[in-house]
Amino acid sequence: MSSYFITRANFEKFIVKLIQAKKKIYAPVSKKQSFIFDELTSFDDLRLDYDVTILPPKKYIFPPRQGLLTFDKQGHNSLIAPEDKILLGVHFYDLKAIDMLDNLFAANNSDANYLANRAATTIIGANIQKISKRAFWGSVGKDVRPHGYDGFIIKLDGGEGYVYECYTDKGSALLKSGDFSNASPAQIAASMDINERVLKQCPEKLNHSSKEIATKVRSTFKEKQLWEELADDCFSCGSCNTVCPTCYCFDVQDNWNVDQVSGRRERTWDACMTEDFAKISLGGGHEENFRESKAQRFRHRIMRKSTYLNETLGGPACVGCGRCSSACTADIADPAKAINRIMEL
Amino acid sequence: MLDYNSYENNIFYPMEAKILNVKQVTELERHFSLKLANDKQMTFSPGQIMEVSLFGYGEIPIGFASSPTRKNSFDIVVRSVGRVSKAINKLQKGDSLYVRGPLGHGFDLKAFKNQNVMIVAGGIGLCPTRSMIQYILDKRSDFKKFTLLYGSKNPNQRMFVDDLEVWAKSSDVDFHETVDQGIPGWKGNVGLITTLFKNLEVESNTKVIICGPPVMFKFVIFELQKLKIKNEDIYLDLERRMKCGVGKCGHCQINDHYACIHGPVFSLDTIKHLEEAI
Repeated sequence: MSSYFITRANFEKFIVKLIQAKKKIYAPVSKKQSFIFDELTSFDDLRLDYDVTILPPKKYIFPPRQGLLTFDKQGHNSLIAPEDKILLGVHFYDLKAIDMLDNLFAANNSDANYLANRAATTIIGANIQKISKRAFWGSVGKDVRPHGYDGFIIKLDGGEGYVYECYTDKGSALLKSGDFSNASPAQIAASMDINERVLKQCPEKLNHSSKEIATKVRSTFKEKQLWEELADDCFSCGSCNTVCPTCYCFDVQDNWNVDQVSGRRERTWDACMTEDFAKISLGGGHEENFRESKAQRFRHRIMRKSTYLNETLGGPACVGCGRCSSACTADIADPAKAINRIMEL
Repeated sequence: MLDYNSYENNIFYPMEAKILNVKQVTELERHFSLKLANDKQMTFSPGQIMEVSLFGYGEIPIGFASSPTRKNSFDIVVRSVGRVSKAINKLQKGDSLYVRGPLGHGFDLKAFKNQNVMIVAGGIGLCPTRSMIQYILDKRSDFKKFTLLYGSKNPNQRMFVDDLEVWAKSSDVDFHETVDQGIPGWKGNVGLITTLFKNLEVESNTKVIICGPPVMFKFVIFELQKLKIKNEDIYLDLERRMKCGVGKCGHCQINDHYACIHGPVFSLDTIKHLEEAI
């Protein structure tokens, strides 16, 4: 890793130059009272002071609706056609989430529909300047550091400028677009301090280590009453899944074009909290739902975020962004609340 | 850039398979014999699955219904239950459908070699187990005693009637059959599949495969435990919503196991502690 410094004035020029270049840039911008990742077309739209975005930036690598194949009378063709792009201003919890998805889509049967998009993406992180109301990223999976991103921007206190950490060739490739100098030891120390300090400022907190949580949560699997209580107000709407940066469940459907001859095979985000997620037809009007009750589905989600994938990922599949907590109408989705309640048992 | 129009580079890119033969098995089920286009060979193990699709309709997970020892074709049986299966069941000899596979883990053939084997199949559960039945019969000297129990709802829903007739007469397999409900003219056993255990002679060191409707597993396992068969010797071929077949989409997840990649065949030992498994 090498660290560089760029002044505030030159940072604007740097971003403008990136916008003018061929690659599209997706970055946090404001939308009404919230923030979203969107295509960046002007420096003034860039909001590195965002707290959290409505949807995580995974949407540019694993889109909500992704064509897998087209088909017509002649045959079928893959729709893998990655777009070279830069994801800019990604907070560390979302970097962690993307790193997890990288592992999961590559494991067992590697999924080119994800990996090709990922390979075409340059990811530049940014430090957290404002903290969202439901965040608990300071205390979840503390031993898990994100990998796989290309660079990281830290805004120094006092507004003198930014430190830019380069991790890969893709990250270094951006240097030529800006007037960077080597960062001084003092600037590097200051940037590290900023990232350390923010970890202690989350409004919510897990009180136990990932290991303790994984073991305890797993041991409550058969405590029916507990899970019924936790899931009692659930509407099975799947909003918690939809906004989650580490959820990657999907459905695959074929859709005809209007000509009724050609069409597309597409995958769309799915949600394990919805009622029919694990349901199958047996024929003759009979069905079997392997997670029939909302308590079973709620348990599955919490287990998946806190224990099931820990061995594969080296830590929990939750990054503490708090998006699910904010998105949940009944306000029951918050993993920190559910886990802390379980840990008190 | 890689050629993504190939199954090798793109797990969602299916291979074309030609329908060599098709037979109506019951009112709802059709039996297809398939061969990959361009003379490609389908190499698989009994118990593995495929995602079978028809463009414009979608994909469904289906187990191989024939043994890899029979290399001229591979078989599937499709029950008309939804949009995809109903569309596939309209296809005729010479038509194409599309497959991704083989997927998942089938029966551990090494563990079964030189062992007593029993297969307990209920209803359409005879289709994926037929792959193993044929395999055992084709390599008969590799196995000790082979017992086969089959139960269907009624005589009209019996699968592979020609096979059943052969197995009933064969000295290579101790075959027992029942139907839940008889009809006039039915001379065989009537009663649930568990009633076949009454007079069964099975050694406690037998390796057992169970495949059938979800409700059947518990009752059959109970009978096997009475026979002192160990959990590690009991294998379950599970049905789940294996949508992607490659361990990604999450629909078939049973706790931390995916039916499509860790199964669909599991030993009871592996999954007995998982509440959602059986």
